[in-house]
Amino acid sequence: MFSQRFLKIWVGGAILSLLIVCGVAAPLLAPRDPQAQTLEDRLRPPRWLESGSQAYLLGTDNLGRDMLSRIIYGSRISLMVGVATVLFAGLVGCTLGAVAGYFGSTADEVVSKVSEIFLAFPFLLIAIAIMAFLGQGVGNLIMALMLSRWVQYCRVVRGEVLSLKERDFVTAAKALGGRDFYVLFRHVVPNTFASVTVIATFGMAIVIITEASLSFLGLGVPAHIPTWGSMLSEGRSYINRAPWLTIFPGMAIFITVFGINLLGDGLRDVFDPKLRRQR
Amino acid sequence: MATKKVGVSRREFLKKSSAFAIGAAAWPQFLRSAHGASRDRVTIFHSSVADSIHPYNHSSSPIYGQWQHVIEPLFEYDFKRKDYIGVLAESWQFQGNKWVFKLRKGIKFHDGTPFTSKDVAFSVERMRDEKGGSLQAPNFKDIVEIQTPDDQTVIFVTKQPNAILLDRLDNRLIVSKAAGDKYGDKLYENLVGTGPYKFVSYQRGGHLVFTRNDDYWGPKAAIKEVIFKKVTEDAARLAALESGQADFINNVPDHEVPRLKKHPRIRIDQLEGTRMFFLAMNFAFKPWDNKLVRQAANYSVDAPAIVRNIFDGIGYPCNGPVGANVLGADPKLKRYPYDPQKAKQLLAQAGYPNGCDIQLYYSAGRYPKDREVCQVVAAQMVKGGFRVELISQEWALFWDKQGVNGGRLPFYYIGRGGLIDADTLYDQYFRTGTTRRTNYSNPDLDKLVEEQQKTPESKKRIALLQQAGKYIMDEALFIPLYNLADIYGTAKNLDWKTRPDERVMARDMRIK
Repeated sequence: MFSQRFLKIWVGGAILSLLIVCGVAAPLLAPRDPQAQTLEDRLRPPRWLESGSQAYLLGTDNLGRDMLSRIIYGSRISLMVGVATVLFAGLVGCTLGAVAGYFGSTADEVVSKVSEIFLAFPFLLIAIAIMAFLGQGVGNLIMALMLSRWVQYCRVVRGEVLSLKERDFVTAAKALGGRDFYVLFRHVVPNTFASVTVIATFGMAIVIITEASLSFLGLGVPAHIPTWGSMLSEGRSYINRAPWLTIFPGMAIFITVFGINLLGDGLRDVFDPKLRRQR
Repeated sequence: MATKKVGVSRREFLKKSSAFAIGAAAWPQFLRSAHGASRDRVTIFHSSVADSIHPYNHSSSPIYGQWQHVIEPLFEYDFKRKDYIGVLAESWQFQGNKWVFKLRKGIKFHDGTPFTSKDVAFSVERMRDEKGGSLQAPNFKDIVEIQTPDDQTVIFVTKQPNAILLDRLDNRLIVSKAAGDKYGDKLYENLVGTGPYKFVSYQRGGHLVFTRNDDYWGPKAAIKEVIFKKVTEDAARLAALESGQADFINNVPDHEVPRLKKHPRIRIDQLEGTRMFFLAMNFAFKPWDNKLVRQAANYSVDAPAIVRNIFDGIGYPCNGPVGANVLGADPKLKRYPYDPQKAKQLLAQAGYPNGCDIQLYYSAGRYPKDREVCQVVAAQMVKGGFRVELISQEWALFWDKQGVNGGRLPFYYIGRGGLIDADTLYDQYFRTGTTRRTNYSNPDLDKLVEEQQKTPESKKRIALLQQAGKYIMDEALFIPLYNLADIYGTAKNLDWKTRPDERVMARDMRIK
């Protein structure tokens, strides 16, 4: 079970689980209130450095807030935005892709053209435009990311459905009197799940990076909510005097994305029929 | 047996590698000496650069300084002499309800046409044209007529004797009437002035280019080309200065000052600024119409702590409605002490025993550390019983008719630049109808402000301003915060005289 084959999944999964635990149990894990400012203690270095304080393991930021608590709470936004975006974008994208692929003709035309329009823009640009229009906020952020991410699911599912619908088991299901929607969602769509799971994991990593980028640009969530991206952005002007303000949130983003990518990679190896046959 | 030598000998290898090492070690030194400002071009990265090509579509100190490269005022304030000195005007006189300006002779516009009183009258009409996009019209509301009896004389006729007209006419920049007649609506794309620089180009997003006017009527500028580029991120401006991409930046973060003072290629200039920072309340919005809530807000904000902690002590908390150096400041006035308990009591009295929800607007990147300041203010106000939502907007949106100047924002963090006379602040923010920034209206205060504006005698005027200041503090019409130090970073070989009014002008620059 712990074979080489599943190593990536195990490591990636462990990192993701750690993130989930951090996010869910943030109030229990964080030593302090992430928003509580202690101005007298501002810019304290991490505990192990000279002049570091026992009270703050990873030091404090420019307003004297505990870095460790902020990073733990920051995982909530990353997790929430990552999961919600993947779910919504996956739902919308898969449904539209399945319908377009299965029914073809007008439905396919419309969905394909719309998705081509979305694909024509770099997706970070779409997200920035939507955020500038909607304004800051977690809900808006999820909406913006979802609108810029659904296309990926749609294209992949449409392609898979196009090939699946010609297979014998679909013809058989139809011959037995199955209605279109029943056949589509009972027999065809479940067969695309392997690919969707892989895109979803990679997609989640991309969404987390995008959330950090948008927060970095000041377009994410309001200033007082701690997120890794906004921590990086605020810490940047102190990079010479207090590098820990950027190092820790940067590492948090790196480890999270690394873990999720590892998981995605592992899942792809497992699901990929070509790789499976080689073994 | 003879061996064949292959590749590099040991000696040759040592020679080459030591040459490379020396080169690599010397490279940064070489780079440092290589970049510096040049006579041909100075690049200025500024947090605030004109948001449009319309030179009257703003009322912001640094932007006055930018347009003043091309179009000039009648006079300007000399901070050393603490008085106005003539630019396009030679002299002026206050005669009852008239101000008579004698213009300098022999000045020519960039297109060769002579500068006359007609150009002044034409420019003022442009500045008064609010529909045409001017944001400077309120400065002329007391003027009933502009007379131009001859080419060298301009007379401003006011409704009543107006002692503060010079303050209103300061910063009013003059364009050419001939160019206006020629280009009509396209005047600003073809801006013609009398200044030491000519207009070259403007790009949206804040990229201004000027080139030297070699036929300038005054002393010729030393720098040939000037580029202003808008960069709102402190870190990005600083990185540009350190890499040599910019020769001049404003708003250097105070925490970087000790390090930069040791930098071999950079000089830091700092002085007490004339920009006063405060939190303004809009009386058209609840709960700001309630005096108790306003007082509670005053009690819950600790400006000295913000200066001490966020600005490393490089700042000057206001002890009244204006800073100590401003004309009309009252040394007897005190700011509301920091007392969150008292704030809570007042809120409860005002009918908010469970706290009060407010929104605090600001424009991130516009002022030094504004984002941090607003977060600290929010945290302080929470202790005083408020629940604060922070909202950051793009400057153009924040300042324009959709925002502050349309009276649309309930509570906001703002700085009033070039504040040397308390009247400017009182008139703009608290007098009925001058602007819509706070929508405040009170006949008693209006009377005081009007009275001092009519009073030429300085002592009497100051006493009236102090009376108005006391009223403003008693009624807690806003939350005065502090003046900051203006901190500039320049290439070391760029010689520049700092000014307290945030204007950066290439005519003041020399290359050493």
